[in-house]
Amino acid sequence: MSARTRNRLLMAVVWLFLLLLFLPVLVVIPVSVTDKSYLSLPADGISFEHYGSLTDPAKGWVPSFRNSALAAIATAIMATGIAAAFAVGAWIRSGWWPSAVRLLMLSPLIVPPIIYAVGMVRVLSKVSMLDTFWGVLVVHVVLSLPMAFLAIAASLANLDNRMVTAARSLGARPITIFGRVILPNIAPGLAAGAFLAFITSWDEITVTLFITARHFVTLPRRIYTSITDSIDPALAAIAAVLLIATMAVLIAQTLLKGRGARAGSAK
Amino acid sequence: MSSRFERFALYLTVPAGLLVILLYALPILQVLGLSLTEGQGAIANYERLFTSRAVAGVVQTTLAVSISTTVITMVIAYVIAFGMIHMSDRQRKVALLMVSIPFWVSVLVRAFAWITILRSQGVLNSGLMSIGAITEPIQLVYNRVGVTIGMVHYMVPFAVLLLYANLTDIDRRVVQAARSLGARPVSVFLRVWLPMSLPGIAVASLFILVFSLGFLITPALLGGGRTLMIAEYISVQISNTGRWDLATSLSAALLIVVGLLLALALRSPAMRAAFGGSSK
Repeated sequence: MSARTRNRLLMAVVWLFLLLLFLPVLVVIPVSVTDKSYLSLPADGISFEHYGSLTDPAKGWVPSFRNSALAAIATAIMATGIAAAFAVGAWIRSGWWPSAVRLLMLSPLIVPPIIYAVGMVRVLSKVSMLDTFWGVLVVHVVLSLPMAFLAIAASLANLDNRMVTAARSLGARPITIFGRVILPNIAPGLAAGAFLAFITSWDEITVTLFITARHFVTLPRRIYTSITDSIDPALAAIAAVLLIATMAVLIAQTLLKGRGARAGSAK
Repeated sequence: MSSRFERFALYLTVPAGLLVILLYALPILQVLGLSLTEGQGAIANYERLFTSRAVAGVVQTTLAVSISTTVITMVIAYVIAFGMIHMSDRQRKVALLMVSIPFWVSVLVRAFAWITILRSQGVLNSGLMSIGAITEPIQLVYNRVGVTIGMVHYMVPFAVLLLYANLTDIDRRVVQAARSLGARPVSVFLRVWLPMSLPGIAVASLFILVFSLGFLITPALLGGGRTLMIAEYISVQISNTGRWDLATSLSAALLIVVGLLLALALRSPAMRAAFGGSSK
């Protein structure tokens, strides 16, 4: 076997694996336009009636969508604010306290969420906040802090602290330095942090599954119930909507980055 | 030196500190506490973890599925990541999209897609039956096979992104040097690439193993109640049977296992570097 055939063979395996990763999720798109009333590939033509059933008030998809959007926006605002304040504070001042808080804050990235879920069921039931917006918000903020913090801290790492020194030596008050020197310079990090916090909340299911029931149902919670109760094509429709939205964002981002890189190299 | 500015910086860390202590650390400590006081007390609760046959079955399933998931994931992910660093820029962009789309799509959408494909009236079985390859549907979901397929599919994008970052950091001049000294491609791979990517492999395997051990959603949906892993077993104890003693002692045991794995990993200098690098 020549070196060339071997390389081709290796690349064929690589693309095969990539297809196995990518193609299975696409199956929800053809299934969502099936003309049958049960989960199947379209047989004699396509139909969009399952998308129509998403707006059926009896099925509760619309309120769950609204609840998820509400929780995700509130989470993004709170988590970005808290993470930004902490990131800046820890950037200026080191010591045991910021290190300990950072360690705790990043723990949800690795500690299995089921353990946190068990703890929060007890805590929220004690204060009668199970199945409420506020209960969900608190949990989602805690779970979004790691990603928001990492995005903001990455942005801060590129900030030249001589700017802060200059502002201090010119007599700027701390709040002015924070608001007019630091924050504007980490705006991209804040935006990335808010976006990641939004996505974390929007997608969160493990802990939400335990702390919600009927009153405050988020979209993932609604999808989960639907998968376990009755698998119907409406589920494929909502899955296809989520998949296409994700793909649109990622493809747009890839294209924009490509354009930026080309424009940069042309200079 | 504690100037006004430094005090201000300290105040900025207070909201985050209070939040993670009161609403993250304490709830988890409370789980540990409850595992000692619920039911018939600490000794009975922890003794049961070693004597109960139901728990033994769940632990065995969890370990078997998690370890096979980690091994299969690492092989597939390494092949993809290794291929990606040898691609043209254009191909790599396409490959990255094919990894990031499943990475960002909701875990529920992915589990649902696999159910659609694998169940007995699903896309795969009906396809195979219509071409006559099989006469009876094969049981591919609601068992260990289905859970493992779903979990590997969930973990591979993570592992690829971790390994790809690690492989791009490897100094390509070492590879060129090995080649110019006449090393055959197989020895270049086994004696240059593989040893230099070991830290990345170790970090990625650790993450995948820890994620797998505590994974709830995919095993619950693709296991259909028949392949019971520890997270789902805990959730059944809370939601259905109200056995807080069992739920909290299992959670505590899971936390201890994850903690031990991390502590063990951090003893190796390569792992410390990998984790230290991401903290600031």
